[in-house]
Amino acid sequence: MITVNIDGKDIQVAEETTIVKAAESAGIWIPTMCYSELFEPYGICRLCSVEIIRGKRTRIVTACNYPLRENGLKIRTNSPVIQEIRKVLIELMLSRWPNVPVVKNMAASLGVIEPKFVSLERDEAEDACILCGMCVNICRDVVKANILGFANRGIKREVVLPYEKMNSECIVCGACAYVCPTGHIKIKSLDYERGAVADWYLGPKTAINIPTLQAVPRVPKIDEESCIKTQTGGCGICSTYCEPEAINYEDKDEEVEIEVGQILLATGFQLIDLKQMPQYGYGRLDNVYSSLEFEHMLNSTGPTGGLVKCKDGSEPRAVGIIHCIGSRDENYHKYCSRVCCMYALKFAHLVKDRTKAEVYQFYIDMRAFGKGYEEFYKRLLDEGVNMIRGKVAEIAEVHSGSDGKPYLLVKCEDTLIGKFREIALDMVILCPAIEPQFDAADVKKIFSISQSPDKFFLERHPKLDPISTMTDGVFIAGCAQGPKDIPDSVAQASAAAARMLSLISLGEVALDPVKAEVVDEYCSGCRICNNLCPYGAISFVDDKKISNINEMLCKGCGTCVAACPASAITGKGFTDMQILSEIEGLLSI
Amino acid sequence: MKSYRLQLMVCAGTGCVSNHSFEIKDALEKEIAKHKLQTEAEVVTTGCNGFCGAGPLVVVQPDGIFYQMLKVSDIPLLVEEHLLKGRPVKKLMYVPPKEEAPIPKMSNIPFFSDQTLVALRNRGMIDPENINDYIARGGYKALAKVLMSMTPDEVLQEIKKSGLRGRGGGGFPTGIKWETCKRIQSDTKYVICNADEGDPGAFMDRSIIEGDPHSVIEGMMIGAYAIQNICEGYIYVRMEYPLAIKRFNIAIEQAKEYGLLGEKIFDTDFNFDIKVRRGAGAFVCGESTALMTSIEGNPGEPRAKYIHTVEKGLWDKPTCLNNVETWTNVPPIILKGAEWFSSIGTGDVTHDAWGGSKGTKVFSLAGKVNNTGLVEVPMGITLRDIIFNIGGGIRDGKKFKAVQTGGPSGGFIPENLINLPVDYEELTKVGSMMGSGGMVVMDEDNCMVDMAKYFLKFTQEESCGKCIPCREGTKRMLDILENITSGKGKEEDLNLLEELSNVIVESSLCALGGSAPNPVLTTLKYFREEYEAHVKDKKCPARVCKQLLTYTIDEKQCVEVGHGCGVCKKNCPDNAIIGEIKKAHHIDQNKCGKCGVCYDVCRFNAIRVE
Repeated sequence: MITVNIDGKDIQVAEETTIVKAAESAGIWIPTMCYSELFEPYGICRLCSVEIIRGKRTRIVTACNYPLRENGLKIRTNSPVIQEIRKVLIELMLSRWPNVPVVKNMAASLGVIEPKFVSLERDEAEDACILCGMCVNICRDVVKANILGFANRGIKREVVLPYEKMNSECIVCGACAYVCPTGHIKIKSLDYERGAVADWYLGPKTAINIPTLQAVPRVPKIDEESCIKTQTGGCGICSTYCEPEAINYEDKDEEVEIEVGQILLATGFQLIDLKQMPQYGYGRLDNVYSSLEFEHMLNSTGPTGGLVKCKDGSEPRAVGIIHCIGSRDENYHKYCSRVCCMYALKFAHLVKDRTKAEVYQFYIDMRAFGKGYEEFYKRLLDEGVNMIRGKVAEIAEVHSGSDGKPYLLVKCEDTLIGKFREIALDMVILCPAIEPQFDAADVKKIFSISQSPDKFFLERHPKLDPISTMTDGVFIAGCAQGPKDIPDSVAQASAAAARMLSLISLGEVALDPVKAEVVDEYCSGCRICNNLCPYGAISFVDDKKISNINEMLCKGCGTCVAACPASAITGKGFTDMQILSEIEGLLSI
Repeated sequence: MKSYRLQLMVCAGTGCVSNHSFEIKDALEKEIAKHKLQTEAEVVTTGCNGFCGAGPLVVVQPDGIFYQMLKVSDIPLLVEEHLLKGRPVKKLMYVPPKEEAPIPKMSNIPFFSDQTLVALRNRGMIDPENINDYIARGGYKALAKVLMSMTPDEVLQEIKKSGLRGRGGGGFPTGIKWETCKRIQSDTKYVICNADEGDPGAFMDRSIIEGDPHSVIEGMMIGAYAIQNICEGYIYVRMEYPLAIKRFNIAIEQAKEYGLLGEKIFDTDFNFDIKVRRGAGAFVCGESTALMTSIEGNPGEPRAKYIHTVEKGLWDKPTCLNNVETWTNVPPIILKGAEWFSSIGTGDVTHDAWGGSKGTKVFSLAGKVNNTGLVEVPMGITLRDIIFNIGGGIRDGKKFKAVQTGGPSGGFIPENLINLPVDYEELTKVGSMMGSGGMVVMDEDNCMVDMAKYFLKFTQEESCGKCIPCREGTKRMLDILENITSGKGKEEDLNLLEELSNVIVESSLCALGGSAPNPVLTTLKYFREEYEAHVKDKKCPARVCKQLLTYTIDEKQCVEVGHGCGVCKKNCPDNAIIGEIKKAHHIDQNKCGKCGVCYDVCRFNAIRVE
């Protein structure tokens, strides 16, 4: 620690502290325009000039970057000389940028109202760039993306992007716009690229976010794709501000091994990729949304606060909801996704409720099979929703609207009146098919279960046992087994849970007596049986170099017995000798 | 090695080369071959001789006969008379102004005889592209001496004792700089040679590199040895000096070939390597921190120096930067000793490193003097000696008005201070500076406001624009000066200029801004009446600022002598001249654009300018 004297006050500070910080700790204000604690002091506005007195010598230095290193240094932050310097400097700025609020305010606080200079470079804009360099510094030192820089010398100096063009190296973090004291920097949305718009419109707004207000647990998470730290190694501001030091960038997803007796597979579903059906224009046309995106929009915590809005912010005049995108379709999935009809009706109801828009439903068959569903359908018909029975052929964007606003033209066949129709809409919601998770086949292998032809997990029996699989102790529930709505999923999951609990409360498992067993002495460790077992009951014991059968899993099917080249596997109670003796006994009668 | 009866040293400095000295060289070789003198006479191209105003030059050694302003057509006569018949050609020799007898010997010409050569010790004597020439003149002997017989501390003490101070402008004691750099703990340190000579009209560094590149390399190596832990040296040369870059590269190659650069130099543990970096021609890159950011690959902009570059310089490592002339002074100090060096110059540096200016300084003498070129003089010589003895006085017998020293950011020194001894402190005291050694002489025809504007325009254009006082302030100053020189100046402008200048000096980030107002401040101090004439009377006393001039026609002269010839009327671009042939003409002041064409075309001296 050293002691310095600022404006007559003795102050103790650590060595290398800058004058600005020392003065701040003493409650002394020093004006700054280009200073931020986020990056190394730039020291170019010179407004923080102060006098330092060392013996008889007086020197003028900038307080923001002058490191205090010696005891007894005297500092004067507001002497007449300093006041004069600050006045002239702010007059120089005010003469060039007379309408920028930060400059005007600083001038006022330094007692300057009208500058005595006339600037030939006078810029009347309120959001003019004052060349403070904050954006360049934060981009270089904090974000470490190094996109912004200065071009030209002297009075022609300006802040530019490389080659003055939009640059893909820019990670659009917005830090420059955030620090810009005049609002000169604006972030443009990249509206030529659908993905970016979707992110802006429907995704999380910041790199640290609580995904939805209903999220469990409701804690913030770092979005790796928009976090500057994970992209450039820069920033890290959140960790410096987090007092409990709860932020750990090194934390990664990890694998944990837990020993369990039973497993319930509820791995869910995914929605079909709508981009493989270009005729619907998803990802290409504005205002064509998937049902999930629309659901997000309807949410009162969503990006529009629950209002139904087109991309340009206007209310749609007509909204179309198209069912069976990829379901009940020979080209994609033959099955019915079961949930779309009802949520499509709900959408129609909410759109009607929240806007004055005309709503069209394009359906193949209306499937309102659940409790109260049919009644809801009837109610919708009364609400004046247009029901068009027929498949949509194409969605096109048309620019020749009478008011110049582009609209979406939906071409379809109305099978009830037997006519081809074209309907003009402002917004289209697609109801994508529910399909098995992309990695369902891998999961199937891990648990030695089967998939039905539609690739959903296969239950033991479609009517009598829709919750267990052919592998003991492995259960399935929800859309992993097949498309179903929430009540059905809850019912199935509850049933599976009850089944598992009953086993747990029994404490023991009753097994079929018929099992295969390995005669260790004969087993050559060829592992042929390992992959053949349909129940995944055979594993290889590394230290003994032989195969071993898990009796809990073995169903005694005999596949391995037949396959073993060394005849090392036999069925318990069904050895060759027993069977031959039985045959012999029968024949001897 | 072959020796010759005569050696013809053809100056191949930039000034002479642009005056076709290579054609002179070819002509010489052709004539020598014609007379079959190849075995007796050798033609050598050397670096700059300094007397650039008299180029192209040839010095015939060993007698030192000096020929000037040669043309290719003079060569047959020169070779036949001097080389063949042994009769030096008088008509090609230098004749001092106002005298008739030519001076045959170079050493007797006042321009040369009054100089003391330390930094330029090898000028005109060696072929810069041949390391053997340098070694023959004692080159690398100092390096051998320090590596074989001196400890780094002894070298440091020697430099400290010598009182050598930075020749690049600041005048920081070199020994102290080295010592501080040595004291900072670091495994990696750098030495840099600043050869980014940016002052317009200054070319001493260029001429040293182009004429004697090895002396710089040797100086850097001695510095690196004294400071220790130096891993590399950089030479930062501006790209506008292609010949200097080429000669540095040749010199480095040759030194490596001779084992003078690289590893285990002279079989000691001393390793050293040098790289040449080219600057893109920004004036501000001559500033040490801007130069280092430029070497690092960033835009050349200065940064605060509260933590010195000897502590945190290039790539944040301790870095010792000196300019070309400083480095080149090092080997002679080692060879001849600190006492010899400190015997030249002013003041006493035994107790205070800032107490005096020792050694010599190279100046580029330009402007309205008879002998323009490079001169090396001992510190403490008076301005009068430089301008009137070495420089040969003012051209065309005009009256001396002022001299501007220190490049575009230096100040003007008026006639009453002509006996000022030239050293760091004295120049600073009068508001100017040593700078890198520019010296522009002005006579009565120069308008001081216009000159101040000229220099300020340069610094304003070269400001990097990083800090506000330099970027905005110098532009505002220039605007005010433009107004003054175009007749729109107000009386309060002078005080405003002063106020603004003082703030820029005090608050700029680097020395470029800190010294940019010097020309204005010194002219305001010494020539305020000229400013006042501009703003109060709207007159330019030196008749330079065209907007303030009034052109009139002396009707009597026009009719009686010129017979109303009408040439002025024909040439006037503004059709401002009215009159008929054989009658008096006059100028319509409302139309006159003050271009001065009439004055130039009138053969009868009938145009009056006020």
